[in-house]
Amino acid sequence: MILPRFTYLKAANIEEALDLYREYGEDACYLSGGTDLVPRVKLRLAKQRAVIDLKGIKALESVEEEDERLNIGALAKIFQLKENPVVKEYFPAFRASLESTSCESLQLRGTIGGNLLQNTRCLFYNQSEFWRTSKGLCLKMGGDKCNAIPGATVCLANYSSDNAPALVTLGASVRVVGPLGPREFPLTDLYSGKSGRPFVLNAGEILTHIFIPKQKSLGGYEKLRIRGAIDYPLLGVALSSFNGKSRFGFGAVGPKPYLFEVDSLEQGRIQELATEARKSARPAPNTVMDPVYRRDMIPILVQKLITKVAEEAR
Amino acid sequence: MEKIHVTFTVNGDLIETDVLPSQTLLDTLRTTLELTGTKEGCGLGACGTCTVLLNGEPTRSCIVLAAEADGADVVTIEGLAHGEEVHPLQESFMANGAVQCGFCSPGMILTAKALLHRKENPSKEEIITSMSSNLCRCTGYKKIIEAVESVRDNG
Repeated sequence: MILPRFTYLKAANIEEALDLYREYGEDACYLSGGTDLVPRVKLRLAKQRAVIDLKGIKALESVEEEDERLNIGALAKIFQLKENPVVKEYFPAFRASLESTSCESLQLRGTIGGNLLQNTRCLFYNQSEFWRTSKGLCLKMGGDKCNAIPGATVCLANYSSDNAPALVTLGASVRVVGPLGPREFPLTDLYSGKSGRPFVLNAGEILTHIFIPKQKSLGGYEKLRIRGAIDYPLLGVALSSFNGKSRFGFGAVGPKPYLFEVDSLEQGRIQELATEARKSARPAPNTVMDPVYRRDMIPILVQKLITKVAEEAR
Repeated sequence: MEKIHVTFTVNGDLIETDVLPSQTLLDTLRTTLELTGTKEGCGLGACGTCTVLLNGEPTRSCIVLAAEADGADVVTIEGLAHGEEVHPLQESFMANGAVQCGFCSPGMILTAKALLHRKENPSKEEIITSMSSNLCRCTGYKKIIEAVESVRDNG
């Protein structure tokens, strides 16, 4: 599969990356591991005049344990994070979601920043340009119809990061740096809630760090998938339990990770949560698996995680 | 479109060449360097067929730009044998019947090589996890796992 023509630029530091962005504007995009971007470019889903490679910014590869939080550079590899002792000791949900991400070879290449900023996916969107134009442009491609759900007026492509649902349960925040300076905000605020443009980043902003408060938790991540490796999630459920409260994160059933907090893991409360999650989640007929089945699996994966946490707490 | 001058080693040989920004490492290996042992499968980074070792790590060369490989050390399947003497993994794949159509074999063997380099004595489960990075459409996984176990046990 042939790539279209573009200019390749490599930045040695953040300032240089921003300067290059200023030069090319919205015709440019940032590249880290490339495991999401390069296939998108090959399929002509991303069309840009310039690709700015961030891998020269070595400072963003580091993972540092601070007093109150784990400070993760956005270029840290999924595989590297999986082996991190703080992740292992404090954040079992994140450890499990990293482990579930794709496969080892792609974990060695893919970065956590790229994983969080991967675009939303749909069976009718992640296809070649020829395939897509034959079908007629959909809402996410700038057309006026949805090819997954006839008559739909809103795009429901799935945000398919395994790690985002786990990170929101851990209260993670992010730091971005852009032409107008740096800003920090909760990871939950990174999402627009719209599948067409899933992130609220301003033009040229670079995700530089992810911070996770250092608080010990019990938890896990369950992923619904067809194959045991490589696949994107068809539903992802994360659970992190702290003293007295538990947070659930749901992924791959809509444009963002959904977060719910409960103060007890008693059956009645969990039933309520599962009902609430089933209502909020928006699984659509846009994956290889039936959306009704994906929705019905929500309470089942929730229960599986609760059982796991209860066993660990014993 | 302006070409980019890149320098990297491939199977120990220093390569200096000019590449298009839109050229993948896979294109460069197969077309420019005529190292056709690396195969193209899906072309989208999903199947692992085009796996090479990039600085020792198993990497899907169809989604790596040649420009990104500047300064790197690349090993392809051609770099494993010494003349007529094949690598123990290649020997084991043959002895264990782990090759059916053979299209996935270069990627499989390089993924296994990286694992055995990273971990001296991986468990069967660890071998399965690592080898799950690569798809085999002939469904020959059992013998592939056995071939890797055999090298782990016997070198």
